[in-house]
Amino acid sequence: MTVSAEAGADARVAAGAPRRATGRAGFLQVVRVIWMREVLIYFRDRARMISAFTMPVIMLVMFGEGLGNSIAQLPGDIGYRQFIFPGMVAMIVLMNSVFSGVSIVTDRQFGFLREILVAPVSRTAICIGKISGGATVALVNGAVMFAIAPLLGIDITLEVVAKLLPLIALVSFMLTGLGVALGSRLRSVESFQMLSQVAIFPAMFLSGIFFPINNVPAWMDVLVKINPVTYAVAPIREIALSEQLAAVPADAPFQITHVEWFGYTLSTWEEIGVVLAFGALMLTIAIRAIRTTE
Amino acid sequence: MPPAVRVSGLARRFGEITAVDGVSFDVGEAEIFGFLGPNGAGKTTTISMLCTLLRPTAGSAAIGGCDIVSDPAGVRREIGIVFQDSTVDERLTARENLVFHGELFGMARADIRPRADQLLERVGLADRAGDAVITFSGGMRRRLEVARGLMHWPSVLFLDEPTVGLDPQTRRSLWAYARSMRDTEGVTIFLTTHYMDEAEACDRVAVMDHGRIIALDTPARLKARLGGDVVSIVGPDNAALAREVRESFEIEPRLENEAVEFNVEHGGDFVPVLLARLDGEVRSVGIRAPTLEDVFVSLTGHQIREQAFSEEDKMRSMQRQGFRRMR
Repeated sequence: MTVSAEAGADARVAAGAPRRATGRAGFLQVVRVIWMREVLIYFRDRARMISAFTMPVIMLVMFGEGLGNSIAQLPGDIGYRQFIFPGMVAMIVLMNSVFSGVSIVTDRQFGFLREILVAPVSRTAICIGKISGGATVALVNGAVMFAIAPLLGIDITLEVVAKLLPLIALVSFMLTGLGVALGSRLRSVESFQMLSQVAIFPAMFLSGIFFPINNVPAWMDVLVKINPVTYAVAPIREIALSEQLAAVPADAPFQITHVEWFGYTLSTWEEIGVVLAFGALMLTIAIRAIRTTE
Repeated sequence: MPPAVRVSGLARRFGEITAVDGVSFDVGEAEIFGFLGPNGAGKTTTISMLCTLLRPTAGSAAIGGCDIVSDPAGVRREIGIVFQDSTVDERLTARENLVFHGELFGMARADIRPRADQLLERVGLADRAGDAVITFSGGMRRRLEVARGLMHWPSVLFLDEPTVGLDPQTRRSLWAYARSMRDTEGVTIFLTTHYMDEAEACDRVAVMDHGRIIALDTPARLKARLGGDVVSIVGPDNAALAREVRESFEIEPRLENEAVEFNVEHGGDFVPVLLARLDGEVRSVGIRAPTLEDVFVSLTGHQIREQAFSEEDKMRSMQRQGFRRMR
């Protein structure tokens, strides 16, 4: 049944012709606006900011002072607090990155994801925007650790910090990719929190954040080496402690860092390469998950 | 001028169930077009297909000349959508929600801010532009969504059950805002509703039931089709009265609203004749002009089940008031 649309179509429009938006939002414009919103929302949430700032300090002091005194000296006379500091930075980045994937779950729950997905824009751009937003938040939190490092009695130079920031940005991107990939598959905040805890905790303890990776039993060695976070922690520590590590004798009972594959010792760049590869994989999974949404 | 929306033979099946069973119609430019029908009639499914959120199983449709299957991106630029459930970001301010939308739709930077302020003014939210949406009432959120739907100058604005869960006064004001948008922007408004008063306010109404359009015309002409007035009589034994009306006047009465109802020309002249001829006791008599509800009943044989506030509506209403935050 077709009925004419002319029925009652007398002059209903008073004002002039509406102006039309021109063209389609560019890839980078979409990335930027999605990124912007993530960052804006983060900096508006005081509670989240305060907890993100206090957590690492508490952990560093507790572990560094409490645990550090009971732990035998590490090769090369590296103090435990000095040793654990780069690990703490990695841990903060890990927690913030993965947790930022929750934003895609809340967006879905509150309906805002539909607003984003009905726009005629590239899903890949949406995904990269989301990941960059979460990664920025994680990077900021990691950077704060460096800012307060001198207050906690950690030796670190500006030069080292400048070298570390791009690496931490990359690590943040990789781990936020993991968070977004996880978040885009889940429907409720509760299940995201459960699952991310299940993912974060083993990844955290088996990554060399708290102890040197080359001094563990064989079964754990396997787990450490298949854990992608290991490859993020190692280069951060190698750069942060480059001076102290240089003083570790080659015939020490074990090396503090550098992942070994069947007797082959990976260089810092090779470890970063693993991070890059894992990041690319996570990005691909996250993009695919967002593409197939709805 | 081509129609704003052209639909032909559009159908959608979900497995065994046919949600939309081949509908065809055109919607003119700057028209307010309503889909009236009960829940489950296929209104939302049709709208979802037109908005390219769902692929049709058969038929075709075009909006502003863009085909919904072959050019979904083109369609999405042509349309604004206000969903049944709220999709604003309550942590952002009203203005930020609009700016975000403008950027996502590729508006020129110089246009975004003035356009946002203009629309906020039009929906009466100018003084709350900088407040986070979390502080807004349900009605304000809906108005903001209408403004956002219009942000990128769409040619068609889809409103899916826009006033479900809102109180009558808020519904009327939302409706007035929508109408003024049509008048000033020349946008076509396409809405679904199961509220009669909302359907009455449309230029044309398509009555939908079981996935089919069973009538499509202006509200006035739909009502005129019924012919004359609705007469309702109530007695101690309505069934007997109905039988008597059927036998002595050759009219098919309906047992509705705990009364015997039927349509006749010139109801005022007919009632004295009716009362003189009826043997059964009549306690009250009413005459009224037909409503769209009567049209719906006469077309489908059943009521639209317009509960003023169903359980589902109540939940929605609470959600819009920010109930979810309490969890």
